[in-house]
Amino acid sequence: MSNILLSIKSAKKQYPGGINALDGVNISIHKNEIIAILGSSGAGKSTLIRSLLGLVKLDKGNIFFKSSTPIGNNYKLLRNSISTIYQNFNLVSRSSVLTNIILGKVSKVPSWRILFTIWPKTVQLKALSLLKEVGLQDINYSKRVENLSGGQQQRIGIARALIANPEIILADEPVSSLDPETAKEILKLLKETAKKNKISILCSLHQVEFAKSFADRIIGMSNGKIIFDKSANKLLKADLNKLYK
Amino acid sequence: MQNKKVNLDPPFKIQTILIVCIIFIVLIFSSQRVGIPDIIERLYESSLDLVGIKNSSKIGEGLSRISKEMWPPVIESRKDINLILDFDSSNLPFNSYIEKQIDKSYEINPNTFLLEEVEEDVVFLIEPLGYLRIVIVKIIESIEIAFWASFISIILSIPLAYYSAKNYTPNSIVYYIFRSIVSALRAIPELISVLFMVLAFGFGPAAGIMALGLHSAGFLGKFFAEDIENADKGPQEALIALGASKWKVLKLAVLPQVMPQYVAYMLYILDRNLRMATVIGLVGGGGIGQELKGRFDLFEYGHVTTIIIVIFIVVFIFDQISAKLRSKLIGD
Repeated sequence: MSNILLSIKSAKKQYPGGINALDGVNISIHKNEIIAILGSSGAGKSTLIRSLLGLVKLDKGNIFFKSSTPIGNNYKLLRNSISTIYQNFNLVSRSSVLTNIILGKVSKVPSWRILFTIWPKTVQLKALSLLKEVGLQDINYSKRVENLSGGQQQRIGIARALIANPEIILADEPVSSLDPETAKEILKLLKETAKKNKISILCSLHQVEFAKSFADRIIGMSNGKIIFDKSANKLLKADLNKLYK
Repeated sequence: MQNKKVNLDPPFKIQTILIVCIIFIVLIFSSQRVGIPDIIERLYESSLDLVGIKNSSKIGEGLSRISKEMWPPVIESRKDINLILDFDSSNLPFNSYIEKQIDKSYEINPNTFLLEEVEEDVVFLIEPLGYLRIVIVKIIESIEIAFWASFISIILSIPLAYYSAKNYTPNSIVYYIFRSIVSALRAIPELISVLFMVLAFGFGPAAGIMALGLHSAGFLGKFFAEDIENADKGPQEALIALGASKWKVLKLAVLPQVMPQYVAYMLYILDRNLRMATVIGLVGGGGIGQELKGRFDLFEYGHVTTIIIVIFIVVFIFDQISAKLRSKLIGD
């Protein structure tokens, strides 16, 4: 299996109070693959995504990134090739649209430029072209993002994810704070850009129908365990019943 | 209909009532020690005086001694020309004139051994707005002290805030060291620390600037640190996940969020330093306070009135400006 990009093996995480967020989870993400994780609230979806980024320390288990040795505590290479999209967008609300997109490249911009917030011209132009790619070409890019609608903010979130040229995008319930119509558009945009730029996506979702139309592969999670893991067109009603019983 | 007994919380718990009672008892005991009955007695007496039932009161006597001399405020300066070096009467300063005054004194005549009245002409150089000018120069010095002190406190508070914010400090030892520095700076009142700064930097504005700067650095450090701790975690997490280092996260995800609040704090500190800068001169910190103390000690209460009026005007104007700026920033 040479085309595995990122995998997590026998991951365990218990939060104080004895809640098992992850209980022996094994997932592999292949190149150019779009994966949706389904599950009710508290199933461990967010913990899984956050642990892949090193934002949550695993009690047990290993993460492998493009190699057969676990990455341990060295998240640098991983973080340089992964971008994330969040439920609450996690944009810097008082900064401008353009700055927020550029933030996606923060680890590659030298410190002095950040101190004086002088961004390289090429990065600024890239951000502008991405603004067009996510369909916000008509927006005033020096406007603060707090003045934008939820859908627009998530589009900027996607642009921020794309500017780092990631190999994988992790999306933590990217559409659950949006209305269904906007949610559909955002997922469509995410899928199109991923296919175009050959990016893999791991995306947690609430709505089954979104997952079916969006993903190649669907993983069901409940109480920190994986209930099913199969390609989207082979998903059965019985699987879903197991998930939402 | 079920007739279940519902236990609602009483409006006041027994602890609350006990605490209030204890506070009252402590207050009653301590009021004897600090002279609260005396305050009440004097106020009662002077209110009787005001309505005319009594014809004297302790408060009235105390204040009337200087209140007569406090009005009108003195704005002219009057100098004996004999005390002016190289006085040239053909080349007087702008808008000034010379006034002769007959000074009467009694001297013993060496021939008759009797006390005789002697008249002597004393010439004064009078500048009609001379004293006002001196006061304005001094209050400008106070404003300068306030600005420099605020500037120094902002510079000092940046590392203080960074290392005393729980989520940015490298470890708990550094955290406690910086937290205690911040508390210590705040704990020492300016009027006390000026006394030490005078020893270190000599009399004058430098001592005042250092004392005010250090004290307000303690305030800003605490305020800044708390805002850094409470800033929205989302954007910070996003940047960490993108591989940004700690200070990059602070610069790009925290500062934009807290900036309006910071500017409001800075304005508050500037406002406070301006008020304090008028006072620290009393103990040698330079500025208008030094002039005030000097005139008070010479019993020149007319001058004191001028100084107080100028201080009031400056503080009032600055209050208005900073209130406008603050509301603009927070409303933004």
